Amino acid sequence: MADVPASAGPVPVTPAPDGDGNGHGGPAQTQEFIAEWRNAAYNCFSSGHKFCREVCPVTQVTRNDTWTPTAFHANVVAMEQGELTVEDVAADYVNCTQCGACELRCPNTLFTGDFYRFRTRTVDLVKAVRALAVDSGVHQPAWQRWNQLTDERTHEPVLGDAGVSQEHVRDWADGLHIPVGGQTILFVDCEAAFYRTSVPRAVAQILQHAGVDFGLMQEQWCCGGPAAEMGYVDQARRFAEHNLANWRAVGASRILVLDPHDYISFTEDYPKFFGADFDLEIVLVVELFAELIRDGRLTPSIPVRRSVTYHDPCRLNKRKGIWQEPREVLRAIPGLDFTDVDRVTQWSYCSGAGGGLGIEKPELTAAISDDRMDKAAALGVDTLVSACPWSERPLSVAGGKRDIDVVDIHEILAESLGIEVGGRQGT
Amino acid sequence: MTIAPPLADEVVEELVHVLGTEHVHTSKTARMARARVPAPFPVHRWADYVPDLVVTPVTTDEVAEIVRLANRYRIPLVPRDGGTGLTDGARPERRGIVVDVKRMNQIEEIDLDNRTCTVGVGINMLKLNEVLGVHGLIYPDNPASYPCSLVGGRIGTSGWSLVGARFGHSRDLVLSFDMVLPTGDVITVGDGGGRKVTKSSTGYQLKHLFMGHQGTLGIATRATLKLYPKPEAEFSPFWAFEDFDDAYRTLKHLSQAGIATFAGAVLFDEWKVAYLRRDDEAYIPQPGDVRSLVCAVAYGNEDEVRAGGKRLMRIARDNGARYLGDEISEGDWAARHDRYATPLHGRTRDGQVVPMSWHCEDSAISYTELPAVKDKWHAIAARLRERFDAFDDWGMFFYTSGDTGTDFLTEIDIGIWEQRLDDEMWSAWVEAKRDIAAVAVEHGGSISACHGACREGEVDLVPMELGGGYDVMLKVKRALDPNNIMNPGKYGLDRAYEGEVSAR
Repeated sequence: MADVPASAGPVPVTPAPDGDGNGHGGPAQTQEFIAEWRNAAYNCFSSGHKFCREVCPVTQVTRNDTWTPTAFHANVVAMEQGELTVEDVAADYVNCTQCGACELRCPNTLFTGDFYRFRTRTVDLVKAVRALAVDSGVHQPAWQRWNQLTDERTHEPVLGDAGVSQEHVRDWADGLHIPVGGQTILFVDCEAAFYRTSVPRAVAQILQHAGVDFGLMQEQWCCGGPAAEMGYVDQARRFAEHNLANWRAVGASRILVLDPHDYISFTEDYPKFFGADFDLEIVLVVELFAELIRDGRLTPSIPVRRSVTYHDPCRLNKRKGIWQEPREVLRAIPGLDFTDVDRVTQWSYCSGAGGGLGIEKPELTAAISDDRMDKAAALGVDTLVSACPWSERPLSVAGGKRDIDVVDIHEILAESLGIEVGGRQGT
Repeated sequence: MTIAPPLADEVVEELVHVLGTEHVHTSKTARMARARVPAPFPVHRWADYVPDLVVTPVTTDEVAEIVRLANRYRIPLVPRDGGTGLTDGARPERRGIVVDVKRMNQIEEIDLDNRTCTVGVGINMLKLNEVLGVHGLIYPDNPASYPCSLVGGRIGTSGWSLVGARFGHSRDLVLSFDMVLPTGDVITVGDGGGRKVTKSSTGYQLKHLFMGHQGTLGIATRATLKLYPKPEAEFSPFWAFEDFDDAYRTLKHLSQAGIATFAGAVLFDEWKVAYLRRDDEAYIPQPGDVRSLVCAVAYGNEDEVRAGGKRLMRIARDNGARYLGDEISEGDWAARHDRYATPLHGRTRDGQVVPMSWHCEDSAISYTELPAVKDKWHAIAARLRERFDAFDDWGMFFYTSGDTGTDFLTEIDIGIWEQRLDDEMWSAWVEAKRDIAAVAVEHGGSISACHGACREGEVDLVPMELGGGYDVMLKVKRALDPNNIMNPGKYGLDRAYEGEVSAR
């Protein structure tokens, strides 16, 4: 090569990887993490096909290969090889909404899963890297502050510096005469309890309308899921322990959930924390409402004159396979002009609100919501219905630019049942 | 040569000036994520292929600025699109700057009257077709990597289209494109000068020259593509055979029948069927006497597909084929079209299941040579597996290239247990690739029908295949890229500069 002119040289802008990272002989947590994830990482690395890329909401708005599921797995291989450390990679793993689309599109899940009893688990990997980072003292500033405030206030700081406290967690229910305690408890997530209070008000009044007995918690804390998503696992567990103890104290056996994020926490995180001891029944209210409509215990009869499309919340559609019941509810509402987009097409849709992305990178959340609302706008609808309070804030901002309302499915169902919902759809 | 560190700071500053800080990536993760493609990768030598910088431009002007700067400072540039190629085209050999064009994914125009669209090269075909579908149109370029590869990579590779081949391959479907030459000049190449013309006799036909160069002649930025009506109907029958010879004969009759809606046929050999039976959960098991398979695809207007389909069925039946039924035909074809057709795991000689990377060696081979090539390739794979347990023979496919049935994309799939790779095994693998390529050339074929041929091993035989044409390649490279900055180290093109003294 000595005779080759001009081209052959490197640009020593940044030093080449020197192989002395944590992969070999690094801290114990990193070694433990690598031992747990190396095979899954190699399964992706060996495939390397990137079918996940175009379905990823972050990729769609950034087009940055550093933040793809493929890179997230390959980094683990590089950590094992001693080429990267958790300090090198931590900030990249912010760029994920934990929507799960990549897992659905992965050839390893689709075509080898049965054979290996294996499926690609990018969401869990991202959570594990974030947890490793926190355990290793590598923090993302906005996440650190968010979780610190959550810890202080027992709720996420969804209203900024104001208004979120134990004292006010049941304010949304003013005038609804809901008892505290009982066998069935309605759990209301932080965003709905403090920001979009119309959602829990709609849910509570529909339950009352159908004659379902339920109560509220004595002292409800955040479910802990967001902390777990951002890597603050010990905090998440403490919150979970509190909530479980509180449910036990009132003799609850059944928890009603209106928020898909809580649904993930209670059906995935809590069983992991508590194992077989976690014997409560977790009910997603949109599924319950579909059943009540089917059984004739709820009959929406007041026409709602809106042209709508439905946004499949990622945690329902992509992560839990729940997509039929929300459509059943919408189809039962008279007057709606419903333009549906199938659930598989919606694998590549997202609001960008999940996984803490909007806390560290609000500009990406906004771009993803804009992209989602462009798709709604192309259908010519005046309303987008979602079933996830967290999605509704950024989607409403994007909808405002396009003259499209964002309505929660429980709000629109309540309207058709003749319920005056009350509350706020934001601040 | 090396560049002094002070100059490097200057380079970064200038790039930041052109692109903004956000699009000049220096982090380790950003650089490592652009060091490899899905082809087998010597993971133990990852650090050798990590670029120094990554840039993510969004306009042709930005690309031209980057190229001019690199040319001025003599810095290697590696164009990268989807990074899904299988010949290491986007793998940096000399570090330098990776130009990642994924942000260039805009649809600039859909011309319904002239049936074209003009797009940034960073767009994916599946995403493009989601938009075109609203207009009842399709861009039929359809590689196995359809869900993830990008238009620019298809240009740099001169890619192969599977069922899209009814309307030709990338070279036929890309009408024209803007090309940033290694000096930073920008030209538009097509069939003649017009962006939307499909056939011209004006001057040299440069479009072919700038397709399939694997990034060694510049960076495509914006392309005009040919569109077709979205097919109303598809017919994709599968047939079973008791031996390869019957399937091979039937393949000829099907593909040479002159059926207008015929889009292609694929022959699975005995090794392929055995492998699928052994390890592919998505494969619907067939009776033990099934040893070879053929599938065909026809699509287009419904009435024409029906008529063509009847004729295909008759030809197959007359040749002793056993039709596998609608369910299997539709299901299996859909699965096979939607993935890279492998379960992504293999077995050691004692039958242990291990995660393996799939790799397919592809050649263009004439119909009459297929059986001989098949036997020789399997013998090469067997020798490799005999020496190292980390290799597994996953069988062969033969795809029609067009509607003539005269030459075939011939591929052998080999599983590689990458976790076990070391230098000795890597050398053996490179040697096997060279042997596979030699067989293709020996039988009058071409080393690659679709991936390109610039990886270690096979690349050594490219001058032998192309003869005097390779010398012309060297002259063209030297003329267009005087400083050898554009993806240096690929296709042995360094020899175009032998004996020259560095400009610096």
